[in-house]
Amino acid sequence: MSEHVAPLIVVLPLATAYSILLFCPKYWRYAQRASLICTGLLVVLTCILAMQVNVRGSVIYHFGNWSPPWGIEFLIDRISAFFLVMVSAISFVVILFANGLLYKEIKERVLGQYYALFLILLASLLGIASSNDLFNVFVFLEISSVSAAALVAVNGNKLALEASVKYLVLSTLGSGSLLLAIANIYMVTGYLNLTFIAEALPQAYALYPLNVLATLGLFVVGLTVKSALYPMHIWLPDAHGSAPTSSSAVLSALVVKVYIIVFLKLIFRVFTLEFVSQVPLQFVLLLMSALAILLGSLLAIRQTDIKKMLAYSTVAQIGYIFMGVGLLTYNGLLGAVLHILNHAIMKAMLFLSAGLLIKLTGKRDIRSLAGVGRIYPLPMIAFSLGSLAMVGIPPLNGFISKWYLSLGALEAGLPIYVLVILVSSFLNGLYYLPIVISAFFGQSTEPTYKPLPIPIGASIALICLCIATIFFGLFSGIPTQYLDPALENWFQL
Amino acid sequence: MFDFVRLADNAFYGMAIILFLTGFWIMLSHANLIKKIIGMNIMESAIFLFFVAIGYIKGGSAPILGREGVTYINPLPSALILTGIVVSVSVTAFALALVVKLYQHYGTVNVDEITQIRRGEA
Repeated sequence: MSEHVAPLIVVLPLATAYSILLFCPKYWRYAQRASLICTGLLVVLTCILAMQVNVRGSVIYHFGNWSPPWGIEFLIDRISAFFLVMVSAISFVVILFANGLLYKEIKERVLGQYYALFLILLASLLGIASSNDLFNVFVFLEISSVSAAALVAVNGNKLALEASVKYLVLSTLGSGSLLLAIANIYMVTGYLNLTFIAEALPQAYALYPLNVLATLGLFVVGLTVKSALYPMHIWLPDAHGSAPTSSSAVLSALVVKVYIIVFLKLIFRVFTLEFVSQVPLQFVLLLMSALAILLGSLLAIRQTDIKKMLAYSTVAQIGYIFMGVGLLTYNGLLGAVLHILNHAIMKAMLFLSAGLLIKLTGKRDIRSLAGVGRIYPLPMIAFSLGSLAMVGIPPLNGFISKWYLSLGALEAGLPIYVLVILVSSFLNGLYYLPIVISAFFGQSTEPTYKPLPIPIGASIALICLCIATIFFGLFSGIPTQYLDPALENWFQL
Repeated sequence: MFDFVRLADNAFYGMAIILFLTGFWIMLSHANLIKKIIGMNIMESAIFLFFVAIGYIKGGSAPILGREGVTYINPLPSALILTGIVVSVSVTAFALALVVKLYQHYGTVNVDEITQIRRGEA
């Protein structure tokens, strides 16, 4: 039984999603419970997988017993297992939150379908992280972009629809270039399985250097469009800013990250460090990520809509992660992978608390949040904790990833990027802290009123995320030690 | 001397590149959302052509085994692209549904006009 856990993590959410569509599209309360149970089970299953990986090394599963290169293979290494646990835990928390609030945000008619879409997106994210077959990854990528665009548009309001069209068109452009890259790599190596491609690539490069370089370029373009690295970020603020709260949280925290996981697999397992350091990829990635960090933060300062501001902050944070990858050093990459986790926790918390405040006060404008912290302490405390973690105040988790990124920059001999991190921390403080200060100490212009009750699920979700923020700040050794063997293997230390 | 024979042998790839660029250009330059989606489809078809052309051998036939003296083409790219086409159809259907919704709200499918209407409202 235990060897079938790997496919089960994709099958379970898909089966639940289609059962919801079949049996209870109208009775959304059942859909709520079903998705909560499903994500809860997923957390357990992914934890079991992570333990298996920890004890016995990478978990490999061949579908229908067809061994690769013919069959499709799931290969879950430490990085994927880490990501799988993160995805299922965050989506469990988001579903918990959504159960308390979502029925006030979107039409009752589509609630059941919303949960089904959410689970389909979840299945595709888990599939992308675990699959070892490039074409399989491509199909999961397309499922994820369609369901993510649908999760943005689900509200049916004008802004969300427009953002969704923009998102869909640009992400199709990204997947087009990915498919072209896959075609190229299949042409020169004859394989679609990542392990086999990695073996055949040196010989293929000797014969067709131009094709291999073009493939690398197309992969970089496709994956950076989909994960919204700076010049290709234009779809992100609209989509993440106009979606319902739980969608924005999961889009910002998880969906943009999964493409980075694919990128890591390609760069370090397929193309290998040796090859990548010969081509000018490092320069391009570092330049784009430095621009993303600085301009994303500057654009966030200009926003007055709180969710738009958080979305621009995501653009900056994606810059951090790509910078860690681009440094091509052990500590830099460790910082990047840790930041994937830490940013997921922080951004989920920020989006959820901001969405809750918007729902409770009816206002989206940053300036109108003065004095809110005294009326609704819990969401504002969560927001403040997230802000402080974003700035990188030491006992919180944001500090840890920035610390490793800075170490990585020094290791790579590029101290200028430490400066970029410092400046951007300052900029983060510039747009997060005024909200916090005015929410707790500012004078509200409106007369005091009786606060609305906060849904119990939403409170529990926010408290869980607050605890996670502090926990991963204090005990950063847990993820670091778990990831260490995989990274050492990539860098051949 | 430019090798025309080699170019003719690789006509599929050349055509795929021309189609890809055409689709890409339509996607970028047209303000009409329906045309953008058509451009998207042309671009995807170009990639499908490219992918299928990888497995094609001149004079080859489908790999139905048990025949003597026949060259087989590689069937894997064709099988993969069947999936690719399904994916692209569903993306197109979804995009068109969104455009219909947008039209109900704004009364136009032109991106520039939509931006103007939004500015007027703000």
